[in-house]
Amino acid sequence: MTVIQTTALTKRYGSAQVPALDDLSIEVDDGVTGLVGANGAGKSTLIKILLGLLAPTSGSASVLGHDIEGSGEQIRRAVGYMPEHDCLPPDMRCIDFVVHMGRMSGLPPAPARERAADVLRHVGLAEERYRLMGGYSTGMKQRAKLAQALVHDPELVMLDEPTNGLDPAARDDMLALVQRIGHDFGIPVLVTSHLLGELERISDHVVVLDGGRLLRSEATRSFLADTGAVLIEVTGEADAQRRMGEALAARGLSCRPHGGLIEIDPLAPALPTEAGDTPEGGRGPDAGALDGEAAAAAHDRLRDLVRDTAADLDLGLVRVQARTGRLEDVFRDEVPA
Amino acid sequence: MSAQGSAGVIHDIGYRRYAGERTSRAGITRALLFSGVLAVFGFGRSGKAKVLPFALLGMTLVPAVIQVGIMSIIGLSSDLLNYSAYNAGSSFLVVLFVAAQAPVLFSRDLRSGVISLYLARPLGATAFALTRWASLVLAILAFVLTPLLVLFIGGLAAGASFWEELPRVAVALAGAVLLAMLVATVASLVASWTLRRGLAIAGSIMVLLVGLGVTAGLQEVASTEGATGLAHWAALLSPFVLVDSVQVSLGDATSQFPAPADSAATGLLLLASALALMLLGLALLVRRYRSRGA
Repeated sequence: MTVIQTTALTKRYGSAQVPALDDLSIEVDDGVTGLVGANGAGKSTLIKILLGLLAPTSGSASVLGHDIEGSGEQIRRAVGYMPEHDCLPPDMRCIDFVVHMGRMSGLPPAPARERAADVLRHVGLAEERYRLMGGYSTGMKQRAKLAQALVHDPELVMLDEPTNGLDPAARDDMLALVQRIGHDFGIPVLVTSHLLGELERISDHVVVLDGGRLLRSEATRSFLADTGAVLIEVTGEADAQRRMGEALAARGLSCRPHGGLIEIDPLAPALPTEAGDTPEGGRGPDAGALDGEAAAAAHDRLRDLVRDTAADLDLGLVRVQARTGRLEDVFRDEVPA
Repeated sequence: MSAQGSAGVIHDIGYRRYAGERTSRAGITRALLFSGVLAVFGFGRSGKAKVLPFALLGMTLVPAVIQVGIMSIIGLSSDLLNYSAYNAGSSFLVVLFVAAQAPVLFSRDLRSGVISLYLARPLGATAFALTRWASLVLAILAFVLTPLLVLFIGGLAAGASFWEELPRVAVALAGAVLLAMLVATVASLVASWTLRRGLAIAGSIMVLLVGLGVTAGLQEVASTEGATGLAHWAALLSPFVLVDSVQVSLGDATSQFPAPADSAATGLLLLASALALMLLGLALLVRRYRSRGA
């Protein structure tokens, strides 16, 4: 089911007319959708427009079937929003605050109390809920912010940088929680981050924004597909890596150092198959287009070559690893300028 | 039913959806209104947040209790009960209360960022700003009406005649409503523009208390110089002087200030101007909240 749809959405701020969003057309479905972009890419602007807090300069959008123009109230009733910045009054107890926010979203008093307790348990604030939020750690504050976005049982939640300021352990907890909301709770999630690696792990679909424009919108799987390239690591004398690299090059493989490893491009051109393999290897959508059997055969041949080369040079082969795509590659590939 | 069910095992029933009833827009507004009034008096906040409002409320009741006490013990006439002048007399306490508590409703939301959560909820900026203002009006009313009611009920208990006192107390009550609305507008504007609580308090005290002194002084000078028109209109500078002037000209109360409006027409005109200024203030307040949403 499509929960968010935008058509040629454009927002320009002020007299400078710099576009914060430029002709953006996206669709967001069920599950967890990551909205990725550097700071200033237009993520927060998009969320504010979707909530009806900002009017777009042109274009249209609908959230849960409600048009953003004229149905702001219905949208805000059905959506839970967790802003990026601090938004908790320090002199309130967490439970009172979440109950109050539930009331503000249209819950009657008794259900608001019941759901607030429920939701605080889900986000892991059951023990601390009677404390004033001024004394909360950053991790607890993020949880409280998430609880207020869920208290009215929204049909969609928009989370703006939920892992901001968290240490690695708390970050993992938060990401696991976001994933639970999207999958176990069954609430579609739109989550923003400027850290691509995070969204790699939890989202089903990724929308990449750059300078207000849509860079890519695809299932996360296709970003992370096997590229056919291989990373290897060898041991031996001091110059083992260099010797190995030269030997591989002598066998007609294109390779380059990659930190302490050697990255070898896929063997596709050498393959006598009918599949029209692209020489630069299939990244993103192209990877899926590769003929499965031919690709497997190519992988095997490449690995055999690596093994033989290492044996010839009398080097120890420590690691042969498939090089999968990373979301970072999206930027490396498509934003060279 | 089952054997496991009766064994007292706690099951994690997972996330539960809510399919029940949801309140209307009016219901949400009402919830916000009353939670705001309670927040002013410190309910739903930390324990020490209740100290100041209730201490001030206690202090503003002292003169009323003393007056009623004197009346019932010594048996003086009920003319002693000057309802309409009460809040001008304790204006210092009213100003302190409003200055200290308006930031609870205005600066706090804007400063802590809660405003972005409110604006992402159904009400919207305009309704939110006006409901916050209404909360402050109700809280101030509770503060200024309580001593009047103590006077009235205490007076009746001490033997005053209900029908003689009623018109006088009615004028005072109407004046209190007007005072609450005007003072709330001034304080909400100050508090929503100065995000720091201390600044908001100092600012409100400045505007309300110094405004009161300046107005009284200005009226004094203007009326000795013979500029009665200026003296009357100076009342617009201070809600307290204005309410006094309106009460005197329209409600036959006795004035506490040098130059109350001398005719009902002037009083009505003053009242209308004050209400117009109040609407202007509310428009500014709404604009402030609208700009914060973007």
